[in-house]
Amino acid sequence: MTNPIHILLVDDEIDFLENTAKRLTRRGYEVRSAENCAAALDIVASGWPQVIVLDVMLPDRDGIQCLREIKQQWPAMAVILLTGHASIQTGLRSLEYGANDYCLKPIEFDVLVEKIRIVFREAYGGEGKE
Amino acid sequence: MMRKKAALLARTTDSMKFFSKFLQAIHWPVGPRADFPALQQAFREQYKNFRSLLTANNNALELMAEMEQAADQGRPFGMTFVRTRCTALSVNVYKMIQRLRELSGGKYERLLPAFKEVSEQMEAILSKQPAVAEGPFILELAEIDRHAADQVGEKMANLGEIRNRAGCQVPDGFVITAAASQHFLGSEQLRNEINRRLTLCDPDNLEELYTTSAAIQQLIAEAVLPEDLDFEIHRHYQGMAAARNGELLVAMRSSALGEDSGNISFAGQYRTQLQVSEEFLSRTYKEILASKYKSQAIVYRMQRGFRSQDVIMCVGCLAMVDAVVSGVMYSRSPTDPRSSWVLITAVAGLASQVVDGRAATDVLRVARAAPHAIVARELRQPEGAARLTDEQAGELTRLAVRLEAHFGTPQDIEWSIEPRGRIIVLQSRPLGQTTTPEKLVGGEVMTGSATPFLLAGGVTASRGAAAGPAHLVNSSLDLLQFPKGAVLVVAHPLPEWATLMPRAVAVVSETGQVAAHLATVAREFRVPAIFGMAGATQKIMSGQLITVDATGCRVYDGRQDEILADSAPLPNLMEGSPVHRLLKEVLRLATPLHLTDPASLYFKPSSCTTFHDLTRFCHEKAVSEMFAFGAKHGFDAKSAKQLVGETPFQWWVINLDDGFSDDFVQKEKFVQIGQIVSVPMLAIWAGMTAIPWQGPPPVSLSGFGSILFHSTMNRELDPAVRSGLANRNYFMVSKNFCNLSVRLGYHFSLVEAHLDDLLTENYVSFQFKGGAADDNRRLLRVTLLRDILERYDFRVETVADALTARIEKKPASYLAERLKIIGHLLIHTRQIDMVMADPAMVEHYRNKILADLATIVPQAEHAHDEPDPHPAG
Repeated sequence: MTNPIHILLVDDEIDFLENTAKRLTRRGYEVRSAENCAAALDIVASGWPQVIVLDVMLPDRDGIQCLREIKQQWPAMAVILLTGHASIQTGLRSLEYGANDYCLKPIEFDVLVEKIRIVFREAYGGEGKE
Repeated sequence: MMRKKAALLARTTDSMKFFSKFLQAIHWPVGPRADFPALQQAFREQYKNFRSLLTANNNALELMAEMEQAADQGRPFGMTFVRTRCTALSVNVYKMIQRLRELSGGKYERLLPAFKEVSEQMEAILSKQPAVAEGPFILELAEIDRHAADQVGEKMANLGEIRNRAGCQVPDGFVITAAASQHFLGSEQLRNEINRRLTLCDPDNLEELYTTSAAIQQLIAEAVLPEDLDFEIHRHYQGMAAARNGELLVAMRSSALGEDSGNISFAGQYRTQLQVSEEFLSRTYKEILASKYKSQAIVYRMQRGFRSQDVIMCVGCLAMVDAVVSGVMYSRSPTDPRSSWVLITAVAGLASQVVDGRAATDVLRVARAAPHAIVARELRQPEGAARLTDEQAGELTRLAVRLEAHFGTPQDIEWSIEPRGRIIVLQSRPLGQTTTPEKLVGGEVMTGSATPFLLAGGVTASRGAAAGPAHLVNSSLDLLQFPKGAVLVVAHPLPEWATLMPRAVAVVSETGQVAAHLATVAREFRVPAIFGMAGATQKIMSGQLITVDATGCRVYDGRQDEILADSAPLPNLMEGSPVHRLLKEVLRLATPLHLTDPASLYFKPSSCTTFHDLTRFCHEKAVSEMFAFGAKHGFDAKSAKQLVGETPFQWWVINLDDGFSDDFVQKEKFVQIGQIVSVPMLAIWAGMTAIPWQGPPPVSLSGFGSILFHSTMNRELDPAVRSGLANRNYFMVSKNFCNLSVRLGYHFSLVEAHLDDLLTENYVSFQFKGGAADDNRRLLRVTLLRDILERYDFRVETVADALTARIEKKPASYLAERLKIIGHLLIHTRQIDMVMADPAMVEHYRNKILADLATIVPQAEHAHDEPDPHPAG
């Protein structure tokens, strides 16, 4: 793989969004951000993202609903659900709706990077460049 | 007889079935042959699922180990820990089921109800809320006794008990109950927001802790009090005021459900507001409720294993007492339950000055027996301050003895004396005690009294000794920078320093005495503390390494090991707490393993009653499905290539994906070690071949030894020829993965490893079972293996003669060294159980193996000193 992974971050916590985007960019990934589901779906429609890191609580929609809409457009899209409110039910539902992983905040940055690389590899087979 | 028994054992091992399936797959292809590229593509798809399942399996096992460790070791953890681990565990087990079903083309549907059953039970335990408090929003003190603790909190229930059952004077007043608090804070939105913020907060990060604490308190202070509750509070206040010609100031005191019980003091955690007039009633009420989220309270609950919802705040509104002298008294010494005197701490004015730790106080010891002689008196208040008379001291002592008799346990009592001499009890609670006797005023130097000390004096607020760099704290800013393991040095023992108790190794304060809240908390956390040590903040420099001998009331320069040798080990503060109990409860659904034998009739989805059962089942079936793939798709015998080269025994290698170099020709029956590019296999191989095997030990007297020998050394065996013996050793490899089944004689070992640059997926696991010897010898051998593997940082579990060893999430180079160790052990411990009866021989072999390993993996020896490869980011 010669191209960096395209990552879309979706979260209404601006601090988390900016901080994570900055650090991922520094690692050589291509990053875009969206603060709500509608903005995320616009970017998804363009076909740009390869991995989406999606917060469960979004201002305009429940993250699971957002996941479903993303998967309707792009069933093979790699999506990691991220939440600050751990719940077994939500975790299982997200897997049922095709999430590739379900992670809990706070998450160490290095762990997040590994999760992104793992779901990328699971979804597309390649390794993805940092 | 021995052979028979061993053979029987071998037949029942889980590995047998697994292996026969494998051989079936290799030797009896049944399905239509697919063309090779299509087959490889299908195989890659299977392998992707298989690998994903293995990752989930690893995660699940590691989570279970982490949870068990937390429960056993009692290091502090909160609900966030339990909830996140349970959620991650459920998600990973579910992922395994999903992947297994994909691997098997939709089989094993019955795993779903089994999983649902376990996960729903777990969710039910996690979301269990304390019962919703019922009853009125307000209760008058006259209506309360200690049975009302679940409505008004321990503190106010005790006060009601003292008034109505023990016949003592207490202030007039009423209590705003738990039902009121839940009515106010019960809105789902507010509760969720508070929980969300708490979950995201790392209590080890003080700055984050303070921000979170402040934000939550503000959230509560800004919330609107329900009208009906507000009305009731004012109505009761006005009723009390009317009886006093309209003039009334109240003290508003927190009284939390669950506090002050047993050894859990919550001392000084929450807010008390004195002199409150009517216009500030509602605001103060909200502030006291919010004080549940003061930083020291959050840290305290975390350390003691309480959830936020375990603590429901009630608030007592008590008429202010016009106090001439106030104080705190202990009906016994807090460090000696047999003491025959009452300890009284007194100060002019209000009692709050005593527990705040600011004021200089008079300390008296008064004999419990009449006529209550003053045993010791230390007057520290300035000249002219109001003091206790001897009669008052005697009267207080009688009261302390009476309350102790009433409650049946030594008491910690807060009191005031009015101008007319009437004693008013403000609070009485069980006295937190340590069991070893000690002197309170002055003290005995532990050891090393000849060592010149830096400072001496003060009182032992909490006994013990510790050393660390001193850190002077004056302000919140100093507090934020307080390093873990430092000695807290302060001018006054303010209750807010309690936030630092989990970080501080000792406390030295210039003022204060044993009755300060901070002393109570220090005793609870077993942090040695000296209070009232004059000159501490001048004589001790920030950063200076000091040793605090709290028992002897001395501070020494530098580290004094002789003194430290006497200090007691830290207690398990979590044991028996609500969160600890809850973790134990969910662990019962997670870790017990009932499915141990895949050959058993009970090895089926409906027998899975824990997450461990489910992972075991999924892992076992996934391995079988991978093997069965060959049979299903005409995966013929040619896929197993015999390894050629200078090797002991015979080995076959199956390339799962990219485990062979590009120059390997698929039609070949043999593969050279130089054509293998599988990183983990090469590491195992390096360990196997580093030191040549010298054959079985020189005691194989029976025919058994020779059978074993022949079965392993018969070089005529050909992979394409069906063999009557199941003694084959297979590597299944890809570049980063290796699954090795070793079956020789009656031993079975399974090594599995994934080595990559993604730490999360990396692991080495080693299973060993069986042996052609009696039980005792097999156990000895497992013990030997365990001993060696633990030296190299493996996490080892043994059940009878089966051993499982694991390491996860370490860099590939680190794990490759561990694989070399396993490689060596596989070859060189193989027949040792034949000599296991002879302790001298065992010792000889142990020493030989350890010496050999030191030459094979010299850098792995001190692995535990290596820096953490995965630091927090």
